[in-house]
Amino acid sequence: MPQEIERQYKEILREYMMRQTEQNLYEGQNFSRQLIQKNIAPDEVISIHKATLEEIYPELPMTVWNSFDLLIEMMIRYGLAHAEHQSLLQQQEELKVEMDLAANVQGTLLKTTVPVVEGLEIGLVSVPARRMNGDYIYFLSDHVNNAGVAVADVIGKGLPAALCMSMIKFGMDGLQDATADPEKVLDVINRIVEKSVNDDMFISMFYGRYNVAESIFTYATAGHEPALFYDAKKGEFSELHAKGLLLGVVAKASYEQHSVKMETGDFVVMMTDGVTECRTEEGFIEPEVVMSLIHSLRHEPAQTIVDNVYKELEKMQNFELRDDFTLVIFKKTS
Amino acid sequence: MNIQLISKEEENIVKAIIGGEIDAFTAPMLREKLETVQHMADLHAELEMSEVSYMDSTGLGVIVAFFKNVNANNGHVKLTGLSPRLKRLFDITGLGEIMDIETDDKGGSES
Amino acid sequence: MGYRSSVEILTEWDIVAARQLGRNEAKEVGFGTVDQARITTAISELARNIYLYAGKGKIEIERISEGGTFGITIIASDEGPGIPDVRKVMQDGFSTSGGLGAGMPGVKRLMDNFKLETVVGEGTVIKATKWIR
Repeated sequence: MPQEIERQYKEILREYMMRQTEQNLYEGQNFSRQLIQKNIAPDEVISIHKATLEEIYPELPMTVWNSFDLLIEMMIRYGLAHAEHQSLLQQQEELKVEMDLAANVQGTLLKTTVPVVEGLEIGLVSVPARRMNGDYIYFLSDHVNNAGVAVADVIGKGLPAALCMSMIKFGMDGLQDATADPEKVLDVINRIVEKSVNDDMFISMFYGRYNVAESIFTYATAGHEPALFYDAKKGEFSELHAKGLLLGVVAKASYEQHSVKMETGDFVVMMTDGVTECRTEEGFIEPEVVMSLIHSLRHEPAQTIVDNVYKELEKMQNFELRDDFTLVIFKKTS
Repeated sequence: MNIQLISKEEENIVKAIIGGEIDAFTAPMLREKLETVQHMADLHAELEMSEVSYMDSTGLGVIVAFFKNVNANNGHVKLTGLSPRLKRLFDITGLGEIMDIETDDKGGSES
Repeated sequence: MGYRSSVEILTEWDIVAARQLGRNEAKEVGFGTVDQARITTAISELARNIYLYAGKGKIEIERISEGGTFGITIIASDEGPGIPDVRKVMQDGFSTSGGLGAGMPGVKRLMDNFKLETVVGEGTVIKATKWIR
Protein backbone atom coordinates (compact mmCIF):
# COMPACT_ATOMS: atom_id res chain seq x y z
CA MET A 1 0.00 0.00 0.00
CA PRO A 2 1.45 3.41 -0.93
CA GLN A 3 3.07 5.22 2.02
CA GLU A 4 0.82 8.23 1.63
CA ILE A 5 -2.32 6.16 2.03
CA GLU A 6 -0.91 4.48 5.12
CA ARG A 7 -0.06 7.84 6.62
CA GLN A 8 -3.51 9.25 5.94
CA TYR A 9 -5.27 6.26 7.42
CA LYS A 10 -3.13 6.50 10.55
CA GLU A 11 -4.04 10.16 10.87
CA ILE A 12 -7.76 9.48 10.57
CA LEU A 13 -7.60 6.61 13.04
CA ARG A 14 -5.61 8.63 15.58
CA GLU A 15 -8.09 11.50 15.31
CA TYR A 16 -11.00 9.19 15.84
CA MET A 17 -9.41 7.45 18.81
CA MET A 18 -8.99 10.87 20.42
CA ARG A 19 -12.25 12.59 19.60
CA GLN A 20 -14.77 10.07 18.23
CA THR A 21 -16.83 12.70 16.48
CA GLU A 22 -19.26 12.25 13.66
CA GLN A 23 -16.97 14.50 11.64
CA ASN A 24 -14.18 11.94 12.00
CA LEU A 25 -16.43 9.16 10.81
CA TYR A 26 -17.52 11.22 7.84
CA GLU A 27 -13.88 11.83 6.91
CA GLY A 28 -13.19 8.15 7.35
CA GLN A 29 -15.93 7.18 4.96
CA ASN A 30 -14.83 9.68 2.37
CA PHE A 31 -11.37 8.24 2.64
CA SER A 32 -12.64 4.70 2.21
CA ARG A 33 -14.06 5.77 -1.14
CA GLN A 34 -10.52 6.61 -2.18
CA LEU A 35 -9.28 3.28 -0.91
CA ILE A 36 -11.86 1.43 -2.97
CA GLN A 37 -11.03 3.45 -6.05
CA LYS A 38 -7.36 2.62 -5.62
CA ASN A 39 -8.26 -1.06 -5.21
CA ILE A 40 -6.85 -1.30 -1.71
CA ALA A 41 -8.03 -4.68 -0.42
CA PRO A 42 -9.89 -4.92 2.90
CA ASP A 43 -7.22 -7.14 4.39
CA GLU A 44 -4.65 -4.43 3.71
CA VAL A 45 -6.79 -1.85 5.49
CA ILE A 46 -7.06 -4.06 8.55
CA SER A 47 -3.31 -4.65 8.48
CA ILE A 48 -2.70 -0.91 8.61
CA HIS A 49 -5.27 -0.60 11.34
CA LYS A 50 -3.51 -3.25 13.38
CA ALA A 51 -0.08 -1.67 12.79
CA THR A 52 -1.34 1.75 13.86
CA LEU A 53 -2.87 0.32 17.02
CA GLU A 54 0.41 -1.41 17.77
CA GLU A 55 2.11 1.96 17.53
CA ILE A 56 -0.34 3.85 19.70
CA TYR A 57 -1.13 1.13 22.22
CA PRO A 58 1.79 -1.28 22.30
CA GLU A 59 0.74 -2.50 25.74
CA LEU A 60 -2.47 -4.11 24.49
CA PRO A 61 -2.63 -7.85 25.19
CA MET A 62 -1.47 -10.42 22.62
CA THR A 63 -5.04 -11.64 22.26
CA VAL A 64 -6.01 -8.38 20.59
CA TRP A 65 -3.28 -8.72 17.91
CA ASN A 66 -4.18 -12.37 17.38
CA SER A 67 -7.80 -11.49 16.84
CA PHE A 68 -6.72 -9.08 14.13
CA ASP A 69 -4.81 -11.83 12.39
CA LEU A 70 -7.99 -13.86 12.19
CA LEU A 71 -9.87 -10.87 10.88
CA ILE A 72 -7.27 -10.31 8.16
CA GLU A 73 -7.56 -13.93 7.12
CA MET A 74 -11.34 -13.61 6.83
CA MET A 75 -11.21 -10.36 4.91
CA ILE A 76 -9.02 -11.78 2.17
CA ARG A 77 -12.00 -13.55 0.65
CA TYR A 78 -14.15 -10.49 0.86
CA GLY A 79 -11.46 -8.69 -1.05
CA LEU A 80 -11.43 -11.39 -3.73
CA ALA A 81 -15.21 -11.31 -4.02
CA HIS A 82 -15.15 -7.56 -4.45
CA ALA A 83 -12.46 -7.75 -7.11
CA GLU A 84 -14.45 -10.35 -9.00
CA HIS A 85 -17.53 -8.20 -8.76
CA GLN A 86 -15.69 -5.20 -10.23
CA SER A 87 -14.39 -7.33 -13.04
CA LEU A 88 -17.87 -8.64 -13.83
CA LEU A 89 -19.28 -5.11 -13.89
CA GLN A 90 -16.67 -4.18 -16.42
CA GLN A 91 -17.54 -7.19 -18.56
CA GLN A 92 -21.18 -6.27 -18.37
CA GLU A 93 -20.41 -2.79 -19.67
CA GLU A 94 -18.55 -4.27 -22.60
CA LEU A 95 -21.42 -6.60 -23.37
CA LYS A 96 -23.82 -3.68 -23.36
CA VAL A 97 -21.75 -1.95 -25.98
CA GLU A 98 -21.79 -5.05 -28.15
CA MET A 99 -25.51 -5.42 -27.74
CA ASP A 100 -26.07 -1.83 -28.75
CA LEU A 101 -24.06 -2.50 -31.86
CA ALA A 102 -25.99 -5.66 -32.62
CA ALA A 103 -29.30 -3.89 -32.08
CA ASN A 104 -28.23 -1.19 -34.51
CA VAL A 105 -27.26 -3.73 -37.10
CA GLN A 106 -30.56 -5.47 -36.60
CA GLY A 107 -32.44 -2.24 -37.04
CA THR A 108 -30.69 -1.43 -40.27
CA LEU A 109 -30.73 -4.92 -41.72
CA LEU A 110 -34.34 -5.64 -41.01
CA LYS A 111 -35.81 -2.29 -41.98
CA THR A 112 -39.00 -2.43 -43.97
CA THR A 113 -41.10 0.33 -45.50
CA VAL A 114 -44.78 0.70 -44.80
CA PRO A 115 -46.56 0.50 -48.16
CA VAL A 116 -48.87 3.25 -49.35
CA VAL A 117 -51.83 2.09 -51.40
CA GLU A 118 -55.19 3.60 -52.21
CA GLY A 119 -57.83 3.41 -49.52
CA LEU A 120 -55.74 1.56 -46.94
CA GLU A 121 -54.32 2.93 -43.72
CA ILE A 122 -51.55 0.97 -42.05
CA GLY A 123 -50.63 1.43 -38.40
CA LEU A 124 -47.67 -0.28 -36.82
CA VAL A 125 -45.96 -0.51 -33.46
CA SER A 126 -43.24 -2.96 -32.49
CA VAL A 127 -41.40 -2.63 -29.19
CA PRO A 128 -38.80 -5.11 -27.97
CA ALA A 129 -38.93 -6.26 -24.35
CA ARG A 130 -35.14 -6.12 -24.16
CA ARG A 131 -32.45 -4.89 -26.50
CA MET A 132 -33.10 -7.17 -29.45
CA ASN A 133 -36.54 -7.55 -30.93
CA GLY A 134 -37.80 -11.11 -31.37
CA ASP A 135 -40.79 -9.95 -33.37
CA TYR A 136 -40.41 -9.22 -37.02
CA ILE A 137 -42.52 -7.29 -39.52
CA TYR A 138 -41.93 -7.37 -43.26
CA PHE A 139 -44.00 -5.54 -45.83
CA LEU A 140 -44.31 -6.69 -49.40
CA SER A 141 -46.09 -4.42 -51.83
CA ASP A 142 -46.28 -3.36 -55.48
CA HIS A 143 -47.49 0.03 -54.21
CA VAL A 144 -50.52 -0.08 -56.48
CA ASN A 145 -52.75 -3.05 -55.95
CA ASN A 146 -51.28 -5.28 -53.29
CA ALA A 147 -50.06 -4.64 -49.76
CA GLY A 148 -48.83 -7.66 -47.87
CA VAL A 149 -47.47 -7.98 -44.37
CA ALA A 150 -45.63 -10.76 -42.60
CA VAL A 151 -45.80 -10.67 -38.81
CA ALA A 152 -43.45 -13.16 -37.22
CA ASP A 153 -42.52 -14.07 -33.69
CA VAL A 154 -39.30 -15.94 -33.18
CA ILE A 155 -39.69 -18.37 -30.34
CA GLY A 156 -36.87 -17.67 -27.97
CA LYS A 157 -35.47 -14.26 -27.17
CA GLY A 158 -32.44 -12.12 -27.65
CA LEU A 159 -29.48 -12.61 -29.90
CA PRO A 160 -30.17 -16.08 -31.40
CA ALA A 161 -33.75 -15.08 -32.16
CA ALA A 162 -32.63 -11.98 -33.98
CA LEU A 163 -30.19 -13.94 -36.11
CA CYS A 164 -33.04 -16.28 -36.94
CA MET A 165 -34.95 -13.34 -38.35
CA SER A 166 -32.39 -12.62 -41.00
CA MET A 167 -33.45 -15.90 -42.50
CA ILE A 168 -37.01 -14.70 -42.85
CA LYS A 169 -35.84 -11.45 -44.34
CA PHE A 170 -33.72 -13.08 -46.97
CA GLY A 171 -36.49 -15.55 -47.71
CA MET A 172 -38.98 -12.74 -48.18
CA ASP A 173 -36.48 -10.73 -50.20
CA GLY A 174 -36.11 -13.72 -52.49
CA LEU A 175 -39.86 -13.88 -53.06
CA GLN A 176 -40.37 -10.28 -54.15
CA ASP A 177 -43.87 -11.06 -55.36
CA ALA A 178 -46.56 -8.89 -53.85
CA THR A 179 -49.24 -11.02 -55.44
CA ALA A 180 -47.92 -14.27 -53.91
CA ASP A 181 -50.49 -16.27 -52.01
CA PRO A 182 -50.03 -16.34 -48.24
CA GLU A 183 -49.95 -20.12 -48.12
CA LYS A 184 -47.10 -20.16 -50.60
CA VAL A 185 -45.17 -17.50 -48.71
CA LEU A 186 -45.38 -19.54 -45.52
CA ASP A 187 -44.32 -22.68 -47.32
CA VAL A 188 -41.19 -21.02 -48.69
CA ILE A 189 -40.17 -19.59 -45.35
CA ASN A 190 -40.90 -22.86 -43.57
CA ARG A 191 -38.49 -24.77 -45.78
CA ILE A 192 -35.69 -22.29 -45.15
CA VAL A 193 -36.25 -22.22 -41.42
CA GLU A 194 -36.60 -25.97 -40.99
CA LYS A 195 -33.27 -26.56 -42.67
CA SER A 196 -31.27 -23.92 -40.89
CA VAL A 197 -32.49 -23.52 -37.40
CA ASN A 198 -31.70 -25.17 -34.03
CA ASP A 199 -33.94 -27.88 -32.69
CA ASP A 200 -35.54 -25.62 -30.15
CA MET A 201 -36.01 -22.52 -32.27
CA PHE A 202 -39.29 -22.01 -34.06
CA ILE A 203 -41.09 -19.19 -35.69
CA SER A 204 -44.75 -18.36 -35.68
CA MET A 205 -45.79 -16.27 -38.66
CA PHE A 206 -48.89 -14.67 -40.08
CA TYR A 207 -48.99 -13.48 -43.66
CA GLY A 208 -51.79 -11.33 -45.00
CA ARG A 209 -52.28 -9.61 -48.32
CA TYR A 210 -54.76 -6.85 -49.11
CA ASN A 211 -55.89 -6.55 -52.69
CA VAL A 212 -57.02 -2.99 -53.44
CA ALA A 213 -59.09 -3.64 -56.55
CA GLU A 214 -61.22 -6.30 -54.90
CA SER A 215 -61.00 -5.04 -51.31
CA ILE A 216 -60.14 -8.53 -50.21
CA PHE A 217 -57.78 -9.50 -47.42
CA THR A 218 -56.27 -12.96 -47.88
CA TYR A 219 -54.34 -14.65 -45.10
CA ALA A 220 -52.67 -17.78 -43.78
CA THR A 221 -50.96 -18.51 -40.52
CA ALA A 222 -48.21 -20.76 -39.22
CA GLY A 223 -48.91 -21.29 -35.53
CA HIS A 224 -49.38 -17.58 -34.95
CA GLU A 225 -51.83 -15.59 -32.81
CA PRO A 226 -55.08 -15.31 -34.78
CA ALA A 227 -55.64 -11.89 -36.26
CA LEU A 228 -58.77 -9.96 -35.37
CA PHE A 229 -61.24 -8.65 -37.89
CA TYR A 230 -63.41 -5.67 -37.02
CA ASP A 231 -66.65 -5.41 -38.91
CA ALA A 232 -67.61 -1.71 -38.81
CA LYS A 233 -71.24 -2.23 -39.82
CA LYS A 234 -71.91 -4.86 -37.18
CA GLY A 235 -69.57 -3.22 -34.67
CA GLU A 236 -68.11 -6.64 -33.85
CA PHE A 237 -64.75 -8.37 -33.62
CA SER A 238 -64.12 -11.87 -34.89
CA GLU A 239 -61.01 -14.02 -34.98
CA LEU A 240 -59.45 -14.81 -38.35
CA HIS A 241 -58.67 -18.48 -37.94
CA ALA A 242 -56.57 -20.59 -40.22
CA LYS A 243 -54.87 -23.87 -39.49
CA GLY A 244 -51.14 -24.10 -39.86
CA LEU A 245 -48.19 -25.49 -37.92
CA LEU A 246 -45.33 -23.37 -36.55
CA LEU A 247 -42.50 -22.84 -39.01
CA GLY A 248 -39.47 -25.05 -38.61
CA VAL A 249 -41.09 -28.10 -37.04
CA VAL A 250 -41.60 -30.27 -40.12
CA ALA A 251 -40.04 -29.89 -43.55
CA LYS A 252 -43.26 -30.14 -45.50
CA ALA A 253 -46.36 -28.50 -44.09
CA SER A 254 -49.51 -27.11 -45.58
CA TYR A 255 -51.30 -23.97 -44.58
CA GLU A 256 -55.00 -23.14 -44.76
CA GLN A 257 -55.72 -19.95 -46.63
CA HIS A 258 -58.84 -17.78 -46.20
CA SER A 259 -60.11 -14.46 -47.41
CA VAL A 260 -62.38 -11.79 -46.03
CA LYS A 261 -64.02 -8.88 -47.81
CA MET A 262 -63.33 -5.48 -46.29
CA GLU A 263 -65.80 -2.57 -46.29
CA THR A 264 -65.03 1.01 -45.43
CA GLY A 265 -64.24 1.34 -41.76
CA ASP A 266 -63.33 -2.35 -41.37
CA PHE A 267 -59.92 -3.25 -40.11
CA VAL A 268 -57.64 -6.21 -39.50
CA VAL A 269 -55.58 -6.34 -36.31
CA MET A 270 -52.45 -8.46 -36.40
CA MET A 271 -50.27 -9.02 -33.36
CA THR A 272 -47.76 -11.22 -31.61
CA ASP A 273 -48.25 -12.90 -28.25
CA GLY A 274 -46.56 -9.97 -26.56
CA VAL A 275 -49.99 -8.36 -26.84
CA THR A 276 -52.14 -11.28 -25.81
CA GLU A 277 -49.88 -12.33 -22.95
CA CYS A 278 -49.92 -8.98 -21.17
CA ARG A 279 -50.03 -9.48 -17.44
CA THR A 280 -50.66 -7.41 -14.37
CA GLU A 281 -50.31 -8.52 -10.74
CA GLU A 282 -53.84 -9.83 -10.86
CA GLY A 283 -53.29 -12.01 -13.88
CA PHE A 284 -53.57 -11.94 -17.63
CA ILE A 285 -55.18 -8.96 -19.34
CA GLU A 286 -58.20 -10.54 -21.03
CA PRO A 287 -58.58 -10.25 -24.81
CA GLU A 288 -61.91 -8.46 -24.24
CA VAL A 289 -59.97 -5.63 -22.60
CA VAL A 290 -57.77 -5.22 -25.65
CA MET A 291 -60.76 -5.44 -27.98
CA SER A 292 -62.80 -2.85 -26.13
CA LEU A 293 -59.74 -0.60 -26.13
CA ILE A 294 -59.45 -0.87 -29.90
CA HIS A 295 -63.21 -0.46 -30.26
CA SER A 296 -63.14 2.83 -28.40
CA LEU A 297 -60.55 4.09 -30.91
CA ARG A 298 -62.22 2.68 -34.02
CA HIS A 299 -62.75 6.03 -35.73
CA GLU A 300 -59.14 7.08 -35.39
CA PRO A 301 -56.46 6.64 -38.03
CA ALA A 302 -54.73 3.26 -37.91
CA GLN A 303 -51.47 4.61 -36.49
CA THR A 304 -53.30 6.45 -33.71
CA ILE A 305 -55.11 3.27 -32.74
CA VAL A 306 -51.94 1.19 -32.43
CA ASP A 307 -50.04 3.93 -30.60
CA ASN A 308 -52.79 4.35 -28.04
CA VAL A 309 -53.34 0.65 -27.51
CA TYR A 310 -49.62 0.27 -26.86
CA LYS A 311 -49.53 3.15 -24.41
CA GLU A 312 -52.54 1.85 -22.49
CA LEU A 313 -51.24 -1.71 -22.23
CA GLU A 314 -47.80 -0.46 -21.28
CA LYS A 315 -49.35 1.57 -18.48
CA MET A 316 -51.42 -1.37 -17.28
CA GLN A 317 -48.25 -3.42 -16.99
CA ASN A 318 -46.45 -0.74 -15.03
CA PHE A 319 -44.20 0.13 -17.95
CA GLU A 320 -42.63 -3.30 -17.99
CA LEU A 321 -42.81 -5.51 -21.04
CA ARG A 322 -42.65 -9.24 -20.56
CA ASP A 323 -42.39 -10.01 -24.23
CA ASP A 324 -41.79 -8.14 -27.48
CA PHE A 325 -44.94 -6.23 -28.38
CA THR A 326 -46.07 -6.00 -31.98
CA LEU A 327 -49.34 -4.67 -33.33
CA VAL A 328 -50.24 -3.96 -36.97
CA ILE A 329 -53.55 -2.63 -38.25
CA PHE A 330 -54.79 -2.56 -41.85
CA LYS A 331 -57.76 -0.22 -42.02
CA LYS A 332 -59.92 0.31 -45.09
CA THR A 333 -60.71 3.98 -45.34
CA SER A 334 -62.38 4.18 -48.73
CA MET B 1 -40.09 -24.34 -11.97
CA ASN B 2 -39.63 -27.83 -10.69
CA ILE B 3 -39.45 -31.12 -12.52
CA GLN B 4 -39.53 -34.68 -11.27
CA LEU B 5 -38.57 -37.57 -13.52
CA ILE B 6 -40.02 -40.99 -12.80
CA SER B 7 -38.74 -43.72 -15.05
CA LYS B 8 -39.33 -47.41 -15.52
CA GLU B 9 -36.37 -48.22 -17.68
CA GLU B 10 -37.27 -51.85 -18.36
CA GLU B 11 -40.55 -50.74 -19.87
CA ASN B 12 -39.11 -47.65 -21.60
CA ILE B 13 -41.52 -45.41 -19.73
CA VAL B 14 -40.67 -41.98 -18.40
CA LYS B 15 -43.05 -39.61 -16.65
CA ALA B 16 -41.98 -36.04 -16.04
CA ILE B 17 -44.04 -34.08 -13.54
CA ILE B 18 -43.51 -30.41 -14.23
CA GLY B 19 -44.69 -27.50 -12.10
CA GLY B 20 -44.29 -23.78 -11.78
CA GLU B 21 -43.46 -21.30 -14.52
CA ILE B 22 -41.59 -22.23 -17.66
CA ASP B 23 -39.99 -19.17 -19.20
CA ALA B 24 -36.71 -17.98 -20.62
CA PHE B 25 -35.10 -18.38 -17.19
CA THR B 26 -36.31 -21.83 -16.26
CA ALA B 27 -36.62 -23.42 -19.71
CA PRO B 28 -32.90 -24.34 -19.92
CA MET B 29 -33.27 -26.37 -16.73
CA LEU B 30 -36.23 -28.21 -18.21
CA ARG B 31 -34.33 -28.86 -21.42
CA GLU B 32 -31.35 -30.29 -19.54
CA LYS B 33 -33.56 -32.68 -17.63
CA LEU B 34 -35.42 -33.83 -20.74
CA GLU B 35 -32.21 -34.26 -22.66
CA THR B 36 -31.18 -36.97 -20.23
CA VAL B 37 -33.92 -39.27 -21.52
CA GLN B 38 -34.70 -38.19 -25.06
CA HIS B 39 -32.14 -40.49 -26.68
CA MET B 40 -33.75 -43.69 -25.32
CA ALA B 41 -35.16 -45.84 -28.12
CA ASP B 42 -38.91 -46.54 -28.29
CA LEU B 43 -39.54 -44.26 -25.35
CA HIS B 44 -43.04 -43.67 -23.98
CA ALA B 45 -42.81 -40.25 -22.39
CA GLU B 46 -45.51 -38.42 -20.51
CA LEU B 47 -45.18 -34.76 -19.54
CA GLU B 48 -47.59 -34.13 -16.68
CA MET B 49 -48.25 -30.41 -16.61
CA SER B 50 -51.23 -29.74 -14.37
CA GLU B 51 -49.05 -27.79 -11.94
CA VAL B 52 -47.60 -25.57 -14.65
CA SER B 53 -48.95 -22.09 -13.98
CA TYR B 54 -47.38 -20.36 -16.96
CA MET B 55 -45.46 -21.26 -20.07
CA ASP B 56 -44.19 -18.97 -22.78
CA SER B 57 -42.70 -19.62 -26.17
CA THR B 58 -39.30 -20.65 -24.79
CA GLY B 59 -40.96 -23.46 -22.85
CA LEU B 60 -42.82 -24.40 -26.00
CA GLY B 61 -39.51 -24.61 -27.85
CA VAL B 62 -38.09 -27.01 -25.28
CA ILE B 63 -41.12 -29.28 -25.46
CA VAL B 64 -41.15 -29.34 -29.25
CA ALA B 65 -37.43 -30.12 -29.36
CA PHE B 66 -38.04 -33.00 -26.93
CA PHE B 67 -40.95 -34.17 -29.08
CA LYS B 68 -38.86 -34.13 -32.24
CA ASN B 69 -36.01 -36.03 -30.63
CA VAL B 70 -38.18 -38.70 -29.03
CA ASN B 71 -40.01 -39.26 -32.32
CA ALA B 72 -36.71 -39.54 -34.15
CA ASN B 73 -35.89 -42.47 -31.83
CA ASN B 74 -39.24 -44.13 -32.52
CA GLY B 75 -40.74 -42.96 -29.27
CA HIS B 76 -43.98 -41.24 -28.33
CA VAL B 77 -44.71 -38.14 -26.26
CA LYS B 78 -47.96 -37.47 -24.44
CA LEU B 79 -48.84 -34.23 -22.69
CA THR B 80 -51.32 -34.37 -19.83
CA GLY B 81 -52.98 -31.95 -17.46
CA LEU B 82 -52.81 -28.90 -19.74
CA SER B 83 -54.80 -25.94 -18.50
CA PRO B 84 -57.18 -24.28 -21.00
CA ARG B 85 -54.66 -21.48 -21.53
CA LEU B 86 -51.83 -23.89 -22.28
CA LYS B 87 -54.09 -25.97 -24.51
CA ARG B 88 -54.88 -22.83 -26.49
CA LEU B 89 -51.19 -22.18 -26.97
CA PHE B 90 -50.72 -25.65 -28.43
CA ASP B 91 -53.84 -25.28 -30.60
CA ILE B 92 -52.83 -21.93 -32.06
CA THR B 93 -49.36 -23.14 -32.92
CA GLY B 94 -50.80 -26.17 -34.66
CA LEU B 95 -48.86 -28.43 -32.31
CA GLY B 96 -52.13 -29.67 -30.87
CA GLU B 97 -52.67 -31.46 -34.16
CA ILE B 98 -49.38 -33.30 -34.24
CA MET B 99 -48.90 -34.00 -30.53
CA ASP B 100 -50.82 -36.28 -28.20
CA ILE B 101 -52.53 -34.00 -25.71
CA GLU B 102 -54.90 -34.72 -22.83
CA THR B 103 -56.54 -31.74 -21.19
CA ASP B 104 -57.37 -31.05 -17.55
CA ASP B 105 -61.04 -31.85 -17.94
CA LYS B 106 -62.07 -35.45 -18.23
CA GLY B 107 -61.78 -36.69 -21.75
CA GLY B 108 -59.79 -38.88 -24.00
CA SER B 109 -56.58 -37.87 -25.68
CA GLU B 110 -56.56 -35.92 -28.89
CA SER B 111 -54.10 -36.88 -31.52
CA MET C 1 16.55 -24.67 -7.57
CA GLY C 2 15.87 -23.16 -4.17
CA TYR C 3 14.81 -24.90 -1.01
CA ARG C 4 11.73 -27.04 -1.69
CA SER C 5 9.27 -28.65 0.66
CA SER C 6 6.04 -30.43 -0.08
CA VAL C 7 2.80 -31.89 1.24
CA GLU C 8 0.82 -34.75 -0.29
CA ILE C 9 -2.84 -33.89 -0.63
CA LEU C 10 -5.17 -36.81 0.01
CA THR C 11 -7.53 -35.82 2.81
CA GLU C 12 -9.07 -32.53 3.83
CA TRP C 13 -6.63 -32.35 6.75
CA ASP C 14 -3.79 -32.22 4.25
CA ILE C 15 -5.11 -28.89 3.07
CA VAL C 16 -4.46 -27.52 6.56
CA ALA C 17 -0.97 -29.04 6.54
CA ALA C 18 -0.24 -27.40 3.20
CA ARG C 19 -1.45 -24.05 4.56
CA GLN C 20 0.80 -24.40 7.59
CA LEU C 21 3.79 -25.22 5.43
CA GLY C 22 3.05 -22.29 3.16
CA ARG C 23 2.70 -19.82 5.99
CA ASN C 24 5.91 -21.00 7.64
CA GLU C 25 7.86 -20.78 4.40
CA ALA C 26 6.44 -17.35 3.62
CA LYS C 27 7.45 -16.13 7.06
CA GLU C 28 10.97 -17.58 6.68
CA VAL C 29 11.41 -15.91 3.29
CA GLY C 30 10.42 -12.61 4.87
CA PHE C 31 6.88 -11.83 3.71
CA GLY C 32 4.73 -9.52 5.88
CA THR C 33 1.60 -10.69 7.68
CA VAL C 34 -0.86 -9.81 4.97
CA ASP C 35 1.18 -11.45 2.22
CA GLN C 36 1.67 -14.52 4.38
CA ALA C 37 -2.11 -14.72 4.64
CA ARG C 38 -2.53 -14.27 0.89
CA ILE C 39 -0.02 -16.94 0.00
CA THR C 40 -1.69 -19.26 2.48
CA THR C 41 -5.10 -18.53 0.96
CA ALA C 42 -3.78 -19.27 -2.52
CA ILE C 43 -2.33 -22.58 -1.34
CA SER C 44 -5.62 -23.36 0.38
CA GLU C 45 -7.53 -22.77 -2.84
CA LEU C 46 -5.18 -24.89 -4.95
CA ALA C 47 -5.01 -27.72 -2.41
CA ARG C 48 -8.77 -27.72 -2.11
CA ASN C 49 -9.15 -28.06 -5.86
CA ILE C 50 -6.83 -31.06 -5.84
CA TYR C 51 -8.79 -32.60 -3.00
CA LEU C 52 -12.19 -31.98 -4.60
CA TYR C 53 -11.50 -32.73 -8.26
CA ALA C 54 -8.35 -34.82 -8.56
CA GLY C 55 -8.63 -36.77 -5.34
CA LYS C 56 -4.89 -36.89 -4.92
CA GLY C 57 -1.98 -34.58 -5.62
CA LYS C 58 0.88 -32.54 -4.20
CA ILE C 59 1.61 -29.00 -3.08
CA GLU C 60 5.26 -27.96 -3.30
CA ILE C 61 6.66 -24.70 -1.96
CA GLU C 62 9.91 -23.42 -3.38
CA ARG C 63 11.93 -20.46 -2.11
CA ILE C 64 13.21 -18.33 -4.96
CA SER C 65 15.45 -15.34 -5.45
CA GLU C 66 16.39 -13.11 -8.33
CA GLY C 67 18.62 -10.06 -8.39
CA GLY C 68 18.42 -9.48 -4.67
CA THR C 69 14.63 -10.01 -4.40
CA PHE C 70 13.15 -12.97 -2.62
CA GLY C 71 9.94 -14.84 -3.19
CA ILE C 72 8.02 -18.07 -3.17
CA THR C 73 6.63 -20.40 -5.82
CA ILE C 74 3.70 -22.68 -5.18
CA ILE C 75 3.50 -25.76 -7.39
CA ALA C 76 0.19 -27.59 -7.26
CA SER C 77 0.20 -30.84 -9.22
CA ASP C 78 -2.10 -33.80 -9.64
CA GLU C 79 -2.81 -36.73 -11.95
CA GLY C 80 -6.49 -36.05 -12.00
CA PRO C 81 -8.96 -35.63 -14.87
CA GLY C 82 -7.43 -32.41 -16.11
CA ILE C 83 -9.39 -29.28 -17.02
CA PRO C 84 -11.33 -29.54 -20.31
CA ASP C 85 -12.22 -25.86 -20.68
CA VAL C 86 -9.43 -23.74 -19.22
CA ARG C 87 -10.86 -20.46 -20.49
CA LYS C 88 -14.10 -21.04 -18.66
CA VAL C 89 -12.30 -21.89 -15.44
CA MET C 90 -10.27 -18.68 -15.67
CA GLN C 91 -13.36 -16.51 -16.03
CA ASP C 92 -14.88 -14.47 -13.26
CA GLY C 93 -18.28 -15.64 -12.20
CA PHE C 94 -17.69 -19.27 -13.21
CA SER C 95 -19.83 -21.58 -11.14
CA THR C 96 -17.30 -23.02 -8.70
CA SER C 97 -16.38 -19.56 -7.49
CA GLY C 98 -19.53 -17.80 -8.72
CA GLY C 99 -19.42 -14.44 -7.01
CA LEU C 100 -17.46 -15.74 -4.04
CA GLY C 101 -14.26 -14.47 -5.54
CA ALA C 102 -12.30 -17.69 -5.25
CA GLY C 103 -11.30 -20.22 -7.88
CA MET C 104 -8.46 -19.71 -10.36
CA PRO C 105 -9.17 -16.01 -10.90
CA GLY C 106 -8.85 -15.58 -7.12
CA VAL C 107 -5.48 -17.35 -6.98
CA LYS C 108 -4.30 -15.18 -9.87
CA ARG C 109 -5.26 -12.06 -7.92
CA LEU C 110 -3.50 -13.21 -4.76
CA MET C 111 -0.19 -14.00 -6.44
CA ASP C 112 2.10 -12.15 -8.84
CA ASN C 113 2.51 -14.77 -11.57
CA PHE C 114 0.30 -17.66 -12.53
CA LYS C 115 0.83 -20.52 -14.98
CA LEU C 116 -1.47 -23.44 -15.65
CA GLU C 117 -0.78 -26.58 -17.66
CA THR C 118 -3.31 -29.34 -18.03
CA VAL C 119 -3.88 -32.44 -20.12
CA VAL C 120 -7.33 -34.00 -20.09
CA GLY C 121 -7.07 -37.52 -18.68
CA GLU C 122 -3.55 -36.97 -17.39
CA GLY C 123 -3.54 -34.17 -14.84
CA THR C 124 -2.81 -30.57 -14.02
CA VAL C 125 0.17 -28.50 -12.87
CA ILE C 126 -0.26 -24.97 -11.58
CA LYS C 127 2.65 -22.69 -10.69
CA ALA C 128 2.10 -19.42 -8.86
CA THR C 129 4.79 -17.02 -7.70
CA LYS C 130 4.88 -14.12 -5.31
CA TRP C 131 7.73 -11.70 -4.66
CA ILE C 132 8.46 -9.56 -1.64
CA ARG C 133 7.67 -6.00 -2.60
